[in-house]
Amino acid sequence: MRWGIEHKETWLHQTNPTAKLLLFLPMFVVIVFVHNPNVLINWTIGFIALFMLFSGYRMKHVLLFFVPFLFIFISTSSSMILFGKGETTWFRWGLIHITEESFYRGVHLGFRTLLFAIFGLMFALTTKPVLLFYSLMQQAKLKPKYAYSFLAAIRLLPIMLEEFQTVHQALKVRRAAKANGFRGKLELVKRYAIPLLSQSIRRAQRIAVAMEAKAFTNERPRTFYYEVTLGKYDVYLLVVICTIVALGYYVADMFPYVAIKDVR
Amino acid sequence: MQTKGLKLTDVLTTVVVAIVFGIVYKVWGPLYYAVKPLGLHLDQLIYGMWFIAATVAYLLIRKPGVALLAEVAAASGEFLAGSEWGLEVLFYGFVQGLLAELVFAAFRYKRFDVAVVSLAAVGSTIASLVLDFYKGYIDQLAWWNLTLFIGARFVGAIIIAGVFAYSLVKALEATGVTQLLRPTTKEDYDSLDK
Repeated sequence: MRWGIEHKETWLHQTNPTAKLLLFLPMFVVIVFVHNPNVLINWTIGFIALFMLFSGYRMKHVLLFFVPFLFIFISTSSSMILFGKGETTWFRWGLIHITEESFYRGVHLGFRTLLFAIFGLMFALTTKPVLLFYSLMQQAKLKPKYAYSFLAAIRLLPIMLEEFQTVHQALKVRRAAKANGFRGKLELVKRYAIPLLSQSIRRAQRIAVAMEAKAFTNERPRTFYYEVTLGKYDVYLLVVICTIVALGYYVADMFPYVAIKDVR
Repeated sequence: MQTKGLKLTDVLTTVVVAIVFGIVYKVWGPLYYAVKPLGLHLDQLIYGMWFIAATVAYLLIRKPGVALLAEVAAASGEFLAGSEWGLEVLFYGFVQGLLAELVFAAFRYKRFDVAVVSLAAVGSTIASLVLDFYKGYIDQLAWWNLTLFIGARFVGAIIIAGVFAYSLVKALEATGVTQLLRPTTKEDYDSLDK
């Protein structure tokens, strides 16, 4: 979902959402079965470059998007670095045992998570949710009742946010917006969740009745307000991804950064 | 009495509830890695929040397929909101929802108590651990650390996606809103005959 941040419409925005999803999803499986950190580092560089050059967002925004990734990188790699198994000890202090193997494995995990995050962000920032669901209906034959339910739910989000504000202010004025202790915190979550959920359910019911009346459920062939097709940009994306993947392997083989080829 | 498959009403309600949780899932991410530096897998205690959409939706709507749909929808909501974990949440959501759904199916969608919901939470935990095994090399952690990791995740899942989800739905039942959702039961028909 794009948060209304100004950007240019690049060819990445013109790709077919279903095609993009089908190109990105297998990368998860591919990345999970790569155990050579050199390859992952090259891919990370390649896909960050793709993102920076063609996402159409301004550099300062892109850098802001990347800030949380830094935390994730540290948080995913730290456990493995500090507590992982390994032979060559670098540092030992109480329970903490850093070894060469665990260090590279930790860094490898960090890059892995970073890659998933880049793919996710690239998809989210260059895809209109409305077109994604229209495309899923047309190219992936998703049943209309599911697609239109998602679309309706996405449209309800602003109302929910507004309601959250109302509930928050109502609780604040009654000095009930704070609570102490674990039980208190859980009570607090309920105080917010119950009105929000019950209202959402009622609203969903009303909308569903209206949608059923307007035959959003029928399974017969239907026409669409937005016609989403496949195009040349999907081929570009396929070629770019294949190039980065192949180049990553080649460079990792010819000019490795670290000597380790398998972090397991 | 009970119609086969999910109707648009069920789908829409499930998706709306799930998307609410999708936003919670998104907000949970920063919280998760804020707790992480406290060390020793304390973060795993709050991991269970990412399983809650499946159990709450199942308790609310009480129909086959709802748990899976809810978890997938919540993951999609989190993904579209720009989750820090990006693509992987879709896989995790699908597998977690699937295992929770299988637990409910094993009880033939006839039980709606804390025990079954907690068992579904355990199912989701196993699903997430299987993916972590491939993705995170968790088997390469020192054994005491791995035990702590897995133990904390199970405990957190049962507390949040099991017990807390159950009490949340109980509170929602008090508002009367759940009567809109559930299929009519035999007791409802019996009460008409009295």
